[in-house]
Amino acid sequence: MKNFPRKKPRNQASQSTFTLQIGAAILAGLAALILGICIGSVNIALSDTVSIILAKLTGGAVKDSIDASLVSILWEIRIPRTLCAFLVGGALAVSGAVIQSILQNPLASSYTLGVSSGACLGTALIIITGAGSASIGYFLLPAAGFGCGLGTVLLVIVIASRFDSGFQNHTIILFGMIVSLFVNAVMTMLSALNESHMQRLILWQMGSFSGRRFSHAAVIFACVLAGTVLTVFFHRELDILSFGDEEAAAVGVDRKRIKILLLVLSSFLTGVSVCFTGVIGFVDLTIPHIVRKIYGSTHKVVIPMSFLFGGAFMTLCDLLARTLMAPQEIPIGAITAFIGAPFFLWVYYKGRV
Amino acid sequence: MPERMIILKHVSVGYGKYRAGKPAEEALVVKDVSFEIGQGRSVCLVGPNGSGKTTLLRAIAGMLPAYGEILVDGKNLREIKRKEIASYLSFLSQMSRVYYSFSVYETVMQGRYVHGGSFFSQTASRDREVVEETLESLGLQDLSHRQITTLSGGQIQRVMLARCIAQESPVMILDEPLNYLDMKIQSEFIDYIFRWREKPVKTDWGKEYQPTIIGVFHDINIAACIADDMAMLSDGRLLAFGEKKDVLTEEMLEKTYRFDAAGYLRKYRSCFSV
Repeated sequence: MKNFPRKKPRNQASQSTFTLQIGAAILAGLAALILGICIGSVNIALSDTVSIILAKLTGGAVKDSIDASLVSILWEIRIPRTLCAFLVGGALAVSGAVIQSILQNPLASSYTLGVSSGACLGTALIIITGAGSASIGYFLLPAAGFGCGLGTVLLVIVIASRFDSGFQNHTIILFGMIVSLFVNAVMTMLSALNESHMQRLILWQMGSFSGRRFSHAAVIFACVLAGTVLTVFFHRELDILSFGDEEAAAVGVDRKRIKILLLVLSSFLTGVSVCFTGVIGFVDLTIPHIVRKIYGSTHKVVIPMSFLFGGAFMTLCDLLARTLMAPQEIPIGAITAFIGAPFFLWVYYKGRV
Repeated sequence: MPERMIILKHVSVGYGKYRAGKPAEEALVVKDVSFEIGQGRSVCLVGPNGSGKTTLLRAIAGMLPAYGEILVDGKNLREIKRKEIASYLSFLSQMSRVYYSFSVYETVMQGRYVHGGSFFSQTASRDREVVEETLESLGLQDLSHRQITTLSGGQIQRVMLARCIAQESPVMILDEPLNYLDMKIQSEFIDYIFRWREKPVKTDWGKEYQPTIIGVFHDINIAACIADDMAMLSDGRLLAFGEKKDVLTEEMLEKTYRFDAAGYLRKYRSCFSV
């Protein structure tokens, strides 16, 4: 009997390139974070940044040579903002990867299922009724957005599974789009009837990381970490589901149960992001494709790498959003699409050869 | 009669809305079919287009809800979980579109899903062993690190067959797996299936089974080649069930297909000078 080549030389080589590629991605993620923290309308030297962070973390005093305003810019504005951008970018990319795989549709994202329109409606209700302006805190607006976003997705899932006992992908996408459009219409009517709030609503929808504090970053961190880690546990099911429903059932995956669970999980990730930062497109759509081109489609790798790439990409986009036309800020959604679209085309066509 | 592997009792299958109780006769695609499949037998469902053979096959695979009872090794299909169904039945359908790129090895490894525990299961050495053995027996070892999106249709189908074999389920369900594939690949495929039938399959619960095959093939010649027994369906009803030479008679073919089927087959063979 012939020996099966346990480890081919080619495989060994590709294994080490693979490790190298992952290492490079981790470094790139860190670099993006550092750039995001150091650069802005006021540039802060890396050494100063490090000593400020160290001083804050250890509770010691900051060196006298560093201006006190720098300290507060860095600690109260720059760092939480950059962290938020990184986490939200990662969360969006992970949820995009999950939805594209289980719905077997390279163009789907959790926005397709109505998370964003639901979240917009929830936020609009709060803004219009004026409840958000009361001193209830920073969290009423996000909580309402999150609740309505997730509620919309659950509605889509319930309707789709009622109408189609097979719970097929095209049914889910179809009902997702119908419910989204309906919710959008309600939202448009609401804003047309309340012109005085229109500008705030539009601004919120465009998405921004400005004014995010540590308390926001902490909540986002907890939710995104939990959601991403849970998603990684399902990497085998995700791999199998990307071959289609029938193929998944054939090897023993309870497709409906797992699909609903993963849909809810990724909507949770998107919901957390949208409710704190507004609707930011493109990251969820493109990052997973780029990651698959580089690392293949195994979700054990795709999920963590999407998180890293999405985070790095969002951090850099946010950096551009606040520096390109400083002191004016460009809506982050415009930047992600502006850079993302050509970059995506480049990767896509290069990856095909 | 060897031990019975699959028993169908008054099975009816329909599409569309399911209400409580059995739907009206005209909503059914498969009507009141009963037969038994012995362990180690190879059974093909044959019949004209729209006779319900694919629908019945999918019901046996547990992909469609059915009325009546389908028993696999004595267990009612409706009462066991998807994972347990898969530990009895593997399923290979016709070539489908591959959207995302996985390596051949990763794809075949998916067949081991039923043998894993829950969330935290890592790839065990037994899984790797089975996958490597299967790849080798199907001549896929040199392709094991290739991405399936770069393979030809015939190669992809061989990979999917490997995934079925690696699943180590005693029953293999074949839903027209040879559509769009050329003669040479068909012949190789049939050889692989025959080779799979030779060795008993041992399950995780320690029982040994003779491999059983249930298939639907677009081409009646392939069905005739693979089957020991045949189930002849027409208009959702079972017309005949038995050894293939008893079922594939001139009258039966004519009765089922409603034309001179035997004459057609003879004419078709006379075209070749082989």
